[in-house]
Amino acid sequence: MSTLSQLTGLTWASFADKPVLETGATVFAFLAATRIARLGGNHPLLNPTLLAIVLIALGLEATRIPYETYLRGADVIHFMLGPAVVLLAVPLFRQRTVIRASARLIGAGLAVGLPVGVLSAVGIAWALGASSQTILSLAPKSVTAGIAVGISEQIGGLQTLTIVLVIMTGITGAVLGPMIARLARIEDPRVVGLAMGIASHGIGTARALQINETAGAFAGLAMGLNGVLTAILLPLACGLLGFAR
Amino acid sequence: MLEQIARVLCWLCIGEIAARSGLLPLPAPVTGLILLYAELAVRGKLPEDLGILADRLLALLGMLFVPAGVGVIAHLHVLKAEALPILAAIIGGTAITLFVTMVVANWVGVAIAKRREQAPGKLEGAVSDVNT
Repeated sequence: MSTLSQLTGLTWASFADKPVLETGATVFAFLAATRIARLGGNHPLLNPTLLAIVLIALGLEATRIPYETYLRGADVIHFMLGPAVVLLAVPLFRQRTVIRASARLIGAGLAVGLPVGVLSAVGIAWALGASSQTILSLAPKSVTAGIAVGISEQIGGLQTLTIVLVIMTGITGAVLGPMIARLARIEDPRVVGLAMGIASHGIGTARALQINETAGAFAGLAMGLNGVLTAILLPLACGLLGFAR
Repeated sequence: MLEQIARVLCWLCIGEIAARSGLLPLPAPVTGLILLYAELAVRGKLPEDLGILADRLLALLGMLFVPAGVGVIAHLHVLKAEALPILAAIIGGTAITLFVTMVVANWVGVAIAKRREQAPGKLEGAVSDVNT
């Protein structure tokens, strides 16, 4: 690498000024991560997003490009997160007949799962002495990452920490979901999907899709509704408790 | 397709204005999501291009978190110093949430199914009423 820079006068830092390096690296890292995950049979532990984050982090460490420089270059990809979250309205709209047909079941699942999801995490972290910033970053952990980031910012958590905690939660839910369903002797795929979507968003939804299509549909639906409702309720609750900034 | 991209950006922009002006305590994309859903509900159908756009972009959703997620390297010390509370909260909290949600939703599902089992008589009655 050093000989290359001597020959051409190029340094990684000079490359980093153009977004092509960061954007390209992000796409390549995610592509590689997807391949690795596929080789491992798409096991929840081999989450492509988490793998790609590790690959990029190692790459930045090796090339000594500061994170801020990378983010400036990869901003094109980061920006797309906003429109993608808006577009979550489309799968929700496609499921509107399911929402109407199982409204009471879905309503019951959300009424219980949403507050239990937030309070159990916040309660355990508080009891074990976590800092308030970590607790606030943990609060939206069950929400799909695109929405969780916004909630985290609103209530005073650390966005980047929230993303990693959200992914860890997704992986945990995807692994534990089917085990807990067996333990609780629950066979209704609607119920299993609902709980996995509420507890562990997109990663849980992907796992629920492997159980069957009904479980997957309910999980995706639960993920969307849980995200929107948490975004409305959590900042309100924090405001009432005087917790927010 | 361009029209659909404009539609999405327009709702996102309104969400951003609502958030920045302090009108709504909601992340801008969530406001955009709600507005887009409301628009679709009013129209009653999904424009084909919008469905394609959503499928394409949402298939890449996992990649879109990468740039922000890499930022955790600046907070590795938090993850290390508070590893126990964080892991306990994530694993314990997720297990509790899954268990409680499944048990309650299953109970509600069984209750609804039972009521439906008793309902057929009523339902048939209602149908015959309509017929007569």
